Amino acid sequence: MLKYSIRRLLGMIPMLILISIVVFSLAKLMPGDSLSGEIDPLNTNPEYIAEMREKLGYNDPLPIQYFNWITGFIQGDFGKSTRFKIPVFDLIMEKVPNTLLLGVTALIITYIMAFIMGMYSGRRPYTLGDNAIAGFNYVMLAIPSFVAAVFAIYIFAFQLNWFPFAGSVDILTEQGSFEYYVSRMHHVLLPAIVLGAMSTASYTQFLRNDIIENSRKDFVRTARAKGTPMKKIYNVHILRNSIIPLVTFLGFDFAALIGGAIITETIFTYPGIGQLFLESVTSRDYPTLMALTMLLSFLTLFGNLLADILYGVVDPRIRLD
Amino acid sequence: MKKKSLLWLFALVLIVSAFLAACGGGSDDASESGSEGEGSSEGAADGEPQKGGTLVYGLDAPPEGLYSSAFYGIATDFEVIELFDEALINYNENLEPEPNVASWETEDNKVFNFTFEEGVKWHNGEELTVNDWVFALETIADPDYDGPRYTNVQTIEGAEAYRNGDADSISGIEVVSDYEINITFDEARVNNLTNLWAYPMPESVLGDVPVAEMSASEWVRSTPIGIGPFKVDKIVPGESVEFSKFDEYWNGDVNLDKIVLRVIDNSSVVGALQNNDIDMISLQPVSGPEVEPLENVEIVTYPGLTYYYVGFKLGKFDNESQTITEELPKYQSKELRQAMMYALNRQEWVDAFFFGYADVVNKPVPSSHWNAADDSELIQYEYDPEKSKQMLDEAGYVDTNDDGFREDPNGDEFVVKFSHYATGNPTFESRAQAIAQYFEAVGLRSEVEMVEVNLYYDMVEKDDASIETFFGGWGTGTDPDPSGLWKADQLWNYPRYNNPEADQLLDDALDIEIVGTDQEKRKELYVEWQKIVNEDLPMLYIAELEEIMALNNRVGGVEYDVSGQNSPAEWFVTE
Repeated sequence: MLKYSIRRLLGMIPMLILISIVVFSLAKLMPGDSLSGEIDPLNTNPEYIAEMREKLGYNDPLPIQYFNWITGFIQGDFGKSTRFKIPVFDLIMEKVPNTLLLGVTALIITYIMAFIMGMYSGRRPYTLGDNAIAGFNYVMLAIPSFVAAVFAIYIFAFQLNWFPFAGSVDILTEQGSFEYYVSRMHHVLLPAIVLGAMSTASYTQFLRNDIIENSRKDFVRTARAKGTPMKKIYNVHILRNSIIPLVTFLGFDFAALIGGAIITETIFTYPGIGQLFLESVTSRDYPTLMALTMLLSFLTLFGNLLADILYGVVDPRIRLD
Repeated sequence: MKKKSLLWLFALVLIVSAFLAACGGGSDDASESGSEGEGSSEGAADGEPQKGGTLVYGLDAPPEGLYSSAFYGIATDFEVIELFDEALINYNENLEPEPNVASWETEDNKVFNFTFEEGVKWHNGEELTVNDWVFALETIADPDYDGPRYTNVQTIEGAEAYRNGDADSISGIEVVSDYEINITFDEARVNNLTNLWAYPMPESVLGDVPVAEMSASEWVRSTPIGIGPFKVDKIVPGESVEFSKFDEYWNGDVNLDKIVLRVIDNSSVVGALQNNDIDMISLQPVSGPEVEPLENVEIVTYPGLTYYYVGFKLGKFDNESQTITEELPKYQSKELRQAMMYALNRQEWVDAFFFGYADVVNKPVPSSHWNAADDSELIQYEYDPEKSKQMLDEAGYVDTNDDGFREDPNGDEFVVKFSHYATGNPTFESRAQAIAQYFEAVGLRSEVEMVEVNLYYDMVEKDDASIETFFGGWGTGTDPDPSGLWKADQLWNYPRYNNPEADQLLDDALDIEIVGTDQEKRKELYVEWQKIVNEDLPMLYIAELEEIMALNNRVGGVEYDVSGQNSPAEWFVTE
């Protein structure tokens, strides 16, 4: 397994180099740069803009710009955000805790909901309940997250006053106090529910199909023949087998955890990676944009690897070497 | 069984659409339009100012976090800065400078003598002296400075030499005492004072930070200090800022105990106002009609400094030599441009797309500036399609091949190609189409092209051949001089308008030999200039925007004029 992991990790290097070239080219291909856009004549003048372009190296030939960027990047210097004027690394680290909290909460909500719904559906396939769950799942999958977010704010924040409508914490609470953490959970819950409840479909349906499939297998028949209670068959024998495909999802979720939810974070003014990503695109903040894209690409590759390894762990029949 | 599941699906769809209907309802019933208080307006709550309380200030876009007047880049950051810092010089409702912390004297508009108030404290307890101002000016003139404000310092004598490393200090700055300073400019200009950088920077905390690292330092990002009535207690990056009353504020009492600033998404603004979650926020015109019916919120408008226009590309500009090198023939006919102006129903357009929060204009100087020409002196270009058609006929633009559209005087096909920038805003395309339709109504075939906004301004600036007529907007500052956007040697003169006579007027208005310190005389020259560009129409002036603020009824003491809001020290809330 170690050999396999190392081989995979080495294989990621050419992949990442290719990705970096694509990311860089795409970023530079976008029209305009961080100094163009709607100019405010009060704050600036053409000389300043020309000077900054020179300073930031936008006038260098593209291969040189790429080389400068990638050498810094490999050494851990992600550059300085052209918009926020601080190192990109600090900027990302500032947002990661928020995004992780949101991502993990959302994932937990997804898992719990999917687990309950999937087990119910798998045990009673083609019943009214099963179809209702499938209908619910697909409707949720079909509703765009920005629509759901706006509705959730309108209903739960403005009408019912259950949740705050924006932000990640109430600024008036003392940092580190008990109220502070309660306030953070209170703020994260609504966006997490919107995110989590919307993406249950794949988990639920996978689990359901797997349970149905397993329930027709010989070992289930054997267990029934020897008189094992149905409850035990489903909750122990079948479930253990059916969790396997779900575990692989965990690897894919890895990138999504950090990547955040671009739209949801923006609508909830929840300062995380997703919101940062969107802003860096609109303001052509290349260093931030490229660092985030690279980070997400790496996490996706890493997540895939993790999924493969986990698969081997939970299912010894699959051999990695 | 199958039927039942279908029923379930149907029921679910119904439930979801019921939600949809419930949420849509709120925004539909607000079609009546009404513009309330014009100009400066009192806050919503009446009566005596009350002490204490917390006011929640909303922002509809996240700040970047550069909380220093010398370094900030976007207006949102400045909104935050205004709550905890003050300028040395203020501007009144005619945008004329007024003493705040500093008062000044000058005899020749070249050497200025400034006197500071004594006993003004920074939020860290240090006293403000002229050295803090010198520190700010030298920081901005430093070669490592990465903000955009050098233009406000470069007119000081010796600033250029300091920036090039030829001098250790700026020779035009002479510190007399802790409260007195002389500043000498490189030449006498009438707008030296309004152009000068008038914010001090706290040397006591930033003095040891290298200039290149200042914008990333904690004194700019997380613990900024100023001299204003409120001090920053805590910043949660990108979402909120907590301010509390500064007890040692130099200029009178402060009413509020706290201000909490919250960033909220545009989609939540109306709901947050309705629920009393925020007390005041600057509104987008599109939210106006939804906020107006709310009983707990009052809308206050005040004149803005932004105008929108449809420009014609009349030439090409060479940035190396800073000259207009080529004249483009298509829109050179003044009669054609005037006829196109008469074809526009600007009032209808403004009502439709700015919901009444904008006024039709006929000049490129905001009406509230002291040098704005009176309407009686300008051609008004009332919507008159018949006159437009007649003028086009006379100018030779007639339909020669009976296709329903006019050809140019040579008999060739004539198509008005109109470009507009595209962002995520869905109304931009329809407002561009509306303008094209006005042109088509008088027989000019029109095409609309929507271009992504970053690319758009790049193309406009570089005189790309595909830009012929274009939509644009400019904001003007407290300095009323339009030279930077209008003279033939300026990059941002996007229409490439080249009229030596008009340029001469702009030069004269700044020439101290000609106008001296006589503001009336300056105004005459600017009015003369406005008459020329009003007749020439290198761009079709559309409208100037109003700034819209929503105030909760419990807020009082807030006043606005064209220079912005009054000091937050005077704001109060009633419980």
